[in-house]
Amino acid sequence: MDVLQLGSYTFSSRLILGTGKFSNSRVMLDAVRASGAQLVTVALRRFNREQLEDDLFGPLSAIEGITLMPNTSGASTAAEAVRAAHIACELSGSPFIKVEIHPNPQHLMPDPIETFEASRILAKEGFLVMPYIAADPVLAKRLEEVGCASVMPLGSAIGSGQGLATSEMLNIIIRESGIPVIVDAGLRSPSEAALAMEMGCEAVLVNSAIAVAGNPSEMAEAFAEAVAAGRKAFRAGLMQKSGSAVATSPLTSFLGTL
Amino acid sequence: MKEMSQMITIELNGQQQPLSPGSTVNDLLAIVGSDGKSVAVLVNDRIIRPENRATHQLQEGNRVELLIFAGGG
Repeated sequence: MDVLQLGSYTFSSRLILGTGKFSNSRVMLDAVRASGAQLVTVALRRFNREQLEDDLFGPLSAIEGITLMPNTSGASTAAEAVRAAHIACELSGSPFIKVEIHPNPQHLMPDPIETFEASRILAKEGFLVMPYIAADPVLAKRLEEVGCASVMPLGSAIGSGQGLATSEMLNIIIRESGIPVIVDAGLRSPSEAALAMEMGCEAVLVNSAIAVAGNPSEMAEAFAEAVAAGRKAFRAGLMQKSGSAVATSPLTSFLGTL
Repeated sequence: MKEMSQMITIELNGQQQPLSPGSTVNDLLAIVGSDGKSVAVLVNDRIIRPENRATHQLQEGNRVELLIFAGGG
């Protein structure tokens, strides 16, 4: 069976969902169910007695087959991310942690130095570390060497919907990587998710494209189908590109015989 | 009814919160309306595990953070 392997965990779904930006929790939970996602990321926030519906732990845990992957968003240093990971693990009991350190809210680009340091520490502590990174093949390899469970390079800036703007670098990362490569951030359409999978990504993480769609549940289904189709195409083996036409019908031994 | 002078003050998620002396973490959770199941509790940056919340007494000036999982990508 073709499964996504992360540490000792296996998942039949290769679509990972983010839970931010949905209009409300019910819409988000419906989209999670529709997507068939088995790995879902959540963020740590301060408890607010006026907004008890913000608390997603109970409702998400109630969905069968869901594993939580808390993220460290809000951290701007490695030390803050490590602290967030410890708190998140205490709360979720999940070994997964998405290391996400983006100090500048204007562009949300991940800090490679702090991300590397936090990932190194957390991998050593036994976390299944899923670092969100720029599409940098050198950094990706260094993160593999310190024991990360995957690398999650961005397709384009978070929430931008610019798709696979980094595809050249993604191809290099995929070629070089001995751990799963998961495109995280920037995808807008299911076709982009399919393309990422055809390129050899092991999974994609999608949030905004589903959360702000006119019908989030339907878009979640569309992404799930695209991811499955892209994976199937990758496994089937894409044909080679050719610089010139290659006939699919016989061009000879026809007219001359008439 | 206790006098205000008998109360202690902690910092709860960045806000001042008066409490009766001897209040435990569980007392605080009850005051804010949390069942404690889906909340991580930090006192002065140290995680207080569920099994210790009934006995961990809060002190004047403690910095308490209550954290939950919310939506994020």
